[in-house]
Amino acid sequence: MKRIEVKLSLSVVAPLLDVIRRLADGFSEKLAAPQQMGDIDDEFRDAWVAELITGQTADVKALLALFNDEFFSEGIVAFDEDNAEPIVRACAAVRLRLRDVYLRGLGDDTLEGGDVEIDDLSEDVRKAFMCYLFLATVQELIIQHLVSSIIES
Amino acid sequence: MVSSVKSSPSTETLSRTELQISGIWRVVVLNDPVNLMSYVMMVFKKIFGFNETLARRHMLEVHEQGRSVVWSGHREKAEAYVFTLQQWHLTAILEPDETH
Repeated sequence: MKRIEVKLSLSVVAPLLDVIRRLADGFSEKLAAPQQMGDIDDEFRDAWVAELITGQTADVKALLALFNDEFFSEGIVAFDEDNAEPIVRACAAVRLRLRDVYLRGLGDDTLEGGDVEIDDLSEDVRKAFMCYLFLATVQELIIQHLVSSIIES
Repeated sequence: MVSSVKSSPSTETLSRTELQISGIWRVVVLNDPVNLMSYVMMVFKKIFGFNETLARRHMLEVHEQGRSVVWSGHREKAEAYVFTLQQWHLTAILEPDETH
């Protein structure tokens, strides 16, 4: 099984986990991003949304499971063919929620371009933006090294 | 309408005959400012089996024009694709293909 290990800076990443954990509870209640369901009946819509929420909750749990004892003792997280898919999806979910909760004030063009003056941001927004960038890096790492296993799974 | 409220959209409810609406439906992916281009391409490859060139073409269409029709066909299968795209947190909608 292909596996990659990444050593992270505890002092940089640990505070970002607080941001993710604060958002985590909300993932069992509503979708990371609102979806347009179109002309489907209410019962079907409810079942549809409930299954999406179940999936995103499990994905975020897999993301948080990365930061286990090994991470807090060695700073190491490991990605493999089993956890790559839920984690890369969870990163998308959390990034969408970060935008919704903390980063809307930056504007979508700024967010998409990434041209943000970190020092000008308030503490909460700065931490959220750092988290947003960190999760993008996790996604890029997974896509770079484990894309084949995700596509073929 | 729904055979069972508790059944999952990806299994029983999506296979119900009530949704076999005639006509052709489009699966459309809309742009968002959050998801990475590489992520969107990966999702297209995984869900639709697109090769690199086709995945890139659709991703750029989403990015530059705000939307891309990634699949069209019968309603039931189109709904399943929309559901799967939404599981991957892409903004996906279903619309009738009025050219048919």
